[in-house]
Amino acid sequence: MSNMSETAGVARKASFLSRYAIWLVPAIIVAIMPPVLDSNVAMAVLNQMGIAVIFTVAYNMMLGQGGMLSFGFAVYFGLGGYFAIHGVNIISEGGWPIPLPFVPFLGGLAGLAFGALFGSFSTNRAGTVFAMISLGLGEMMASSSLIFSKFSGGEEGITTDRTEVPPFFGVEFTTEQEIYYLIAGWVFFAVFLMYRFSRTPIGRIANAVRDNPERAEFLGYSQKWVRFMSFSVAGCFAGVAGALFALNYEIVTEETVGALTSGVVLLQAYIGGIGFFAGPIVGAVIFTLLQTLMSNYTEIWALYVGVVFVGTVMYAPAGLTGLIMMHIPVYRVGRMGKLTVPYARIALPALICALGAIGFLELWQHISAGATGESEIHVFFMTLDYTSPIPWIVFIAMFLGGLWDARRVAPAVADTYGNALHYAFTGEDQ
Amino acid sequence: MSAAIELRDVRKNFGPTEIIRGVNLSIADGERHAVIGPNGAGKSTLFNLITGKYSLSGGEISLRDEVVSGLAPFQINRKGLSRSFQVTNIFPRMSVYENIRCGVLWSLGYKYSFWHIVDNLKDVNERTAEILEEIGLQARAQIPAGVLTYAEQRALEIGITIAGGANVILLDEPTAGMSHSETDQAIALIRKVTEGRTLVMVEHDMGVVFGLADKISVLVYGEIIASGTPEEIKGNAAVKEAYLGEEAE
Repeated sequence: MSNMSETAGVARKASFLSRYAIWLVPAIIVAIMPPVLDSNVAMAVLNQMGIAVIFTVAYNMMLGQGGMLSFGFAVYFGLGGYFAIHGVNIISEGGWPIPLPFVPFLGGLAGLAFGALFGSFSTNRAGTVFAMISLGLGEMMASSSLIFSKFSGGEEGITTDRTEVPPFFGVEFTTEQEIYYLIAGWVFFAVFLMYRFSRTPIGRIANAVRDNPERAEFLGYSQKWVRFMSFSVAGCFAGVAGALFALNYEIVTEETVGALTSGVVLLQAYIGGIGFFAGPIVGAVIFTLLQTLMSNYTEIWALYVGVVFVGTVMYAPAGLTGLIMMHIPVYRVGRMGKLTVPYARIALPALICALGAIGFLELWQHISAGATGESEIHVFFMTLDYTSPIPWIVFIAMFLGGLWDARRVAPAVADTYGNALHYAFTGEDQ
Repeated sequence: MSAAIELRDVRKNFGPTEIIRGVNLSIADGERHAVIGPNGAGKSTLFNLITGKYSLSGGEISLRDEVVSGLAPFQINRKGLSRSFQVTNIFPRMSVYENIRCGVLWSLGYKYSFWHIVDNLKDVNERTAEILEEIGLQARAQIPAGVLTYAEQRALEIGITIAGGANVILLDEPTAGMSHSETDQAIALIRKVTEGRTLVMVEHDMGVVFGLADKISVLVYGEIIASGTPEEIKGNAAVKEAYLGEEAE
């Protein structure tokens, strides 16, 4: 008997560990990052990434889980930021005993309140009507942030000093590392709550309304109410992300509520994959890395991000996470090895094609924006003379040759994947 | 026996065209009632009026003596009426299991809960498994509903319809597009899952109608021209002339 209960206890422990490993492993990695990296620049990038993760997962509560495509989601992010920054200033001036880690609750409440307010009329319909209303609201709030300058600080925005807030167990949040741990804590808390929401009845019914609102209505659910709830909760978490943005940068401007911020969150969600809970996390991480690392090397990084976005939508509509997930069944039956050679066969020409395109675009950019009298540029660790036709010819040849070869081998690679997938489901080769 | 559904002088216009022209119909509790009629007679429109998809142009509809005309579909569903559709209407991207579970959640009181975790809800998951077994799709539970065969999707549609435990079930052409053997299976399934409930169905297949229905109403150009038992309908001269012809012989 005691053996049985011991076995059951061990099994319970194992299942507990496997269930929470997905949270525990990233938590350990995140916790040891500051001493491992030991760099303020890396901390700044990670802080930006953490904020982007909460914002994008919140966005996907609407888009991926609720089927609502918003072009103005920065409204709730920005308002969360404004309210948080005012909160910090009020706490500092009034000497209120509220430490900094609690300020994101204020941003969350602001996001929730405005999400509920705007959601009350914008969630009657999904589709084009919803998208257009979100665009209009986004523009309205962006211009309002310039008009109501007493609240928003106009073009200069509102600033604060987070160190004026009472310390939290002696921590004053003066360093990048300290604010990193605050953001990281909130990332785990917020992402856990959003994941939990996706497993609740309202979370599952949000999926049903996304798939078929009419059918959901005939099962007793008001599609409007389901969308309204998802929208408000998403607004709440966007407000939390906005508040963390305010605490991190100590400034909120009209850009924070603007169309660019709304566009970026949409790109992040799509690149990562809107069909998976982890998709927006992947998207936010990749996008932040692209943005921060590439901007050190090229001025046209935004163009490359745009190309990655278009490429994702065209060739991998399920996003980068979708690309990974489509290989899980093949991996389970041990057939990934069969895909290695065909994948390498297409990766090589695709890489040559990409390098050719990048080289060409860099040359072109230097013609348009290069300093007068300067004919040398640095591309791929080489110094090239863009007045000479040779680099142009080489890059164009690489682009066209790589493209031609990649397209030529693509059908065979797709067939190999199809075979592997068929085997994974049936246990037989096609 | 009280009426499960009662329609009093129900009318529906689309612009100047009157599609439903003063329908009076009373369906008793526990009855299996078929509405038949030629194409364009207004059968599906009548279903859409009863279930709140369309608003009435005139008249009144009651569900167990409670007026439901003017209510939204979800409000009517909550009063115990559920329907299936002529064109399969499921949640294609969700698993078969999730499709049924969506139907179960409301009726077991979880409604819009944002606190319970669905995978931990024993009553919901047991009920879902029961329905899957009833409709014979337990082996297909985890696959996306969109990849089921047509007959399986029709069975799932019926499963979703009964999942909420509604007492009044409306089935719109449940066997349309099925082969003979699939139709026989569908009839057996409908008979089993609607046991003890009120069933109203629109159906073109006379074999299905006469095999399942206790009572039949014949709708022609938006009017009910006859209502009665299958034998009465078979012998009704007006019905023969307007719709059945030799088919009912």
